[in-house]
Amino acid sequence: MKTRENYPHIPEIHVESSINLLLRRAKENRTTPLEEYVTTGGYSALEKALKRLTPEDIVVLVEESTLRGRGGAGFPTGRKWRFALSNPPPRYLICNADESEPGTFKDRIIIERDPHLLLEGMAISAYALGVNEAYIYIRGEYPAGYQILEDAIRDAEEAGYLGENILGTDFSLKIYVYRGAGAYICGEETALIESIEGKRGHPRLRPPYPANEGLFGRPTVVNNVETLSNIPIIVTYESYFMNIGPSGFYGPKLFPISGKVEKPGVYESTMDITLRELIEMAGGMKDGKKFKAVFSGALGVYSKRDLDTPMDYSPKGFGGTGTTIVLDEDDCIIDSLIVIANFFHHESCGKCTPCRVGTYEQHNLLKKFQEGTATEQDLNLLKHLAKNIPIGSICGLGFSAPQAIADAIKKYPEEFEAHLRGECPAGVCF
Amino acid sequence: MEKTNKFKYLTDELIQKINYYLNKFPKKEQVIIPSLHEILYVYRDIPFEAIEELSEYLDIPLARIEDVVTFYDMFRHRKNAKNHIRICRNLPCHLGKYRNLLKQIEKLTGAEVDGHSADGLWYIELVECIGSCAIAPAFLINDDLYDGSKIKSEEDLKKILEKYISENSGEL
Repeated sequence: MKTRENYPHIPEIHVESSINLLLRRAKENRTTPLEEYVTTGGYSALEKALKRLTPEDIVVLVEESTLRGRGGAGFPTGRKWRFALSNPPPRYLICNADESEPGTFKDRIIIERDPHLLLEGMAISAYALGVNEAYIYIRGEYPAGYQILEDAIRDAEEAGYLGENILGTDFSLKIYVYRGAGAYICGEETALIESIEGKRGHPRLRPPYPANEGLFGRPTVVNNVETLSNIPIIVTYESYFMNIGPSGFYGPKLFPISGKVEKPGVYESTMDITLRELIEMAGGMKDGKKFKAVFSGALGVYSKRDLDTPMDYSPKGFGGTGTTIVLDEDDCIIDSLIVIANFFHHESCGKCTPCRVGTYEQHNLLKKFQEGTATEQDLNLLKHLAKNIPIGSICGLGFSAPQAIADAIKKYPEEFEAHLRGECPAGVCF
Repeated sequence: MEKTNKFKYLTDELIQKINYYLNKFPKKEQVIIPSLHEILYVYRDIPFEAIEELSEYLDIPLARIEDVVTFYDMFRHRKNAKNHIRICRNLPCHLGKYRNLLKQIEKLTGAEVDGHSADGLWYIELVECIGSCAIAPAFLINDDLYDGSKIKSEEDLKKILEKYISENSGEL
C-alpha cells in the first residue's frame, strides 16, 4: 500500500462540510485506502446497483434526483444519459477531471483524498449506460492525482470492484486514466475527446453532440468528477436524496472558495446556502476588510446585491462549479478582469477567429483602462466584443470569455467611469 | 543497464513505458501524449530528436507528433533546467500577491521569469490556474505543489529550494 509520501507533495488544503456526503472521507490531507473505503460503506452502492437494480432503474433515479452537471454548464445529468442511451453500443463514459477554471479546485480534493468514491460513481454510471470502457481525463498539473487514480484503479481491480466480471456479475469495466498537458480548452468536452484520441485539443462543431458521436465516433457521455461522485449517494439514498437541499436543486455541492476570506478552501453544503453564508462559513472577510465582489471563476461577477442569492442553478445563482473568488475593498475590478482576460487570451485554442482575436483585443482594451488611456469608445468596443465573441465561437470557452467583463460593466459601471477619469477606487492601477 | 535498442533518446526504460501504453490503449495515436509525458519526465523538456525517434518507433508521421507538442503548454522543446518552477498568476494567486513570491524566488535562484539560472538548476515560468487557489500564491517545483501563503520569510523558501539542490547534486 502506497502512502502519501510516495506521491508528489500536496500541501494541506482546508476542507469543511456541513452535510458530510461528498467530503465525508476527505477531511484530512490523506488518500483513503480501499480497505477503509469499504469498511465505511464504500462500494455498497455498486453492489446494490449490480445485484438489485437494472440499468434503467439507475437512470430513472438519476433523472428524479434532478442532478445537474457540476463542471460548469449545469446540464441535467439524467437527460445527458438518455441522449446517449438512445444510440446503440458500444458507448463510452468519460470523467472530466480537467478542472482548470480559475478559482476551481474542488475535484482534486475528491481525486486525491477519496478516489474510490469517483471510481464507484463511474462503475455505477457505466453499468447504467451499458459502457465497458471508460476514461478519466485528468489535467497534467495534477501529477499526484494521476498516480493516486492509477493506484486506486489497480487496487479496485484486484479486489473485484473494477475489471472483469465485477462482484461476480457479468458486468465488466476497464477505466483508463489519461493525462492532459496544460491546455484549459481540453476541459471542453469535444476538445477533451480530441485530446483522448491523441490530437490537438480543438473543439468540434456541434451537432453531432458527443451523446451521438463522441469518442472514436461512438456515443459518449462526459461527466464531471463531482457529478459522478454523486451517483453512489443517489443510489444509496434513492428518494431520500430529495431531502438534501432545496426543491429542484437536490444533493450536495462543493464550493471552492479563494481570495480574501479567512479560511479559503473547499466547502460542502446544500444549494440553499447564500453567498453571504458561504463567506461566513469560510471565516468571513480576511482581516475584517469590506466585501467588494465575487468572481465566479471566469463566468460571472457578483456584487453586494447578490450576497443573499442562493448558490443554486437558477439563472441568478452560481450553478456549475460553485467557484467563489472573493475580492475586498483593496482589490480593483479592472485589474482582476485583466487577469481573467489574459487567461482567456492565453487559453483560446485559436480555432475560431472571434475568440482568438477577440480575447486579445479584450485584454488590450482593459489594459488601456488600467494605464489611463481608455476612452468612452473603448468601453463601447468592450461591450461590442462581449456580444460578438460568443456568437462567433463554437465552444464554451468563446461563450464564457467575455462574461466576467460584461457582468462587471453592468454591475460596476462606476469602476469603469472612475478609470476613464484616471482614478482607481482601490488604488491599484496607474 | 546496457541499452539494447538503437535509439539515442528513447532509452530501454522509455521504450518499456511506451510499450505499456501501446498495450493499454486501444488506438496507437492515444500513445502520443502519454509517451511525451514520459519523455518530459526524463529530460524535463521534449528534445526534437526524441520525437523523431518516437515518430519512427510508433510509425506515426513526425508532423502529427509535432502538432501535439506545439499545442500543449506542458510540452516544450525549449531546454529546461534541472528544476522547473511554475508559479500561478491567475486571479486567486494574483490577489494573493504572487509577484512578491516571484521576487523572492528570483532572488534566491538567480533565475528570471522564462529564463534559466546560470547554474542550470532553475527555470521559472508563470502559468495559468494550477487548481490550488486556497493556498495562493501556489507554485509547483517539478511535480511537487507548495503553499505560497506559508512562506513568511526567505528562510522558509530556502528550506524548500535546498531539497531540490541536494536531490540534484547526487545525479550531477
